[in-house]
Amino acid sequence: MGKVRPKKHAPHTDMTAMTDVAFLLLTFFIMTATFKSNEAEITTPSSISQIKVPDDHIMVISIDKAGKVFFGVDAKPVRAAMLENIGQSKGITFTETEKAKFALQTSFGFPLNQLKPWLNMSKEQMPNVKQPGIPVDSTGASELADWVYAARKADNQLRIALKGDNLSKFPVFKDVLSNLQSQNINKFNLITGSEQAPAGYTND
Amino acid sequence: MAAIEESGGGHGKGDGKVRAKKMSTRVDMTPMVDLGFLLITFFMLATTMSKPTSMTLAVPDKTDEKDQEKTEPLKASKVLTLFMGANDDVYYLDGIAADDDKAVASMKTTRYGFDLRSVIFASAKRINAANPKDEKGNDPFVVVIKPTPVSTYKNMVDVLDEMAITKSKRYALVETLTDSEKKLLGDKIVAK
Repeated sequence: MGKVRPKKHAPHTDMTAMTDVAFLLLTFFIMTATFKSNEAEITTPSSISQIKVPDDHIMVISIDKAGKVFFGVDAKPVRAAMLENIGQSKGITFTETEKAKFALQTSFGFPLNQLKPWLNMSKEQMPNVKQPGIPVDSTGASELADWVYAARKADNQLRIALKGDNLSKFPVFKDVLSNLQSQNINKFNLITGSEQAPAGYTND
Repeated sequence: MAAIEESGGGHGKGDGKVRAKKMSTRVDMTPMVDLGFLLITFFMLATTMSKPTSMTLAVPDKTDEKDQEKTEPLKASKVLTLFMGANDDVYYLDGIAADDDKAVASMKTTRYGFDLRSVIFASAKRINAANPKDEKGNDPFVVVIKPTPVSTYKNMVDVLDEMAITKSKRYALVETLTDSEKKLLGDKIVAK
């Protein structure tokens, strides 16, 4: 008769604990998730300021490291209304599809005359286009002030936040500033990362 | 893939009775763990963890002409002027005007961070000791921040941050450089 061989078992690790941990972490990350926007990569400088950026009623003017200026409003209906407002003041009519597409963009950087062709592109093409930035040059055409005006007309509680890249040069910021000041906006937030205050610093 | 395992019950016992084998079910959790960690990776990469903070910046009203007439010029002896140069250099004039003859000799360079902080503290101490407080009880020390075309946005935030750290209440962000300042800084502020 054949020998009785001990049954071979593959070594089996109990993964229950690992699953527990994995899903705990997963839950945590899902709960805390605020998604990165697909806009231009901007690395903000850090400051010791502790004030959080408000969650709603906010418009963000971003300056990327090449000095291009982007503009974004947080709420979808405001975006649509803003587009309508700027269309009215500039004599451009936007179709409903264009408005719907525009309302989906968290931020954009197009001169007005290039906005319509961009909105008519397919959804797949839109992210691939290199955005040239909104013209802010105080000497030439400046459209940022118009956008800010249109946005504030759409939602009068909007606060303004500026988000600049570490490497963006000061003159661009100055142009943005003069655009805002031309509308009597003299107070706004600068978005920064947070940083530990130096030792011995007391907040009072 | 649930595997049903036999636990070796009933073997080798001499009593001859055939017992029902005890079965224990064991679920292979490997795919579940895989999926879990895949999702974790995704969420870790797709989220921004630190919520950005913001600092408020208030600039004087440009359009209001009336107030501007009332302001008296600052005495150079009470002012620390910071010029934000290229490559994260800060040039500063401590209590001296740019059109002064000695300005060239007294202009010094420092770096952002701790060095700049020490400069501000030292200057504040010296100026506040030498000058009396004004009628409203403010310290006489004033910082004038002058960004130049070669400075970056980070430089500006850094300086504003230093103002908060050193608790310099009175500071001004002045965009325009005077002719004497341009002459003084020379090619330090020319974009390369």
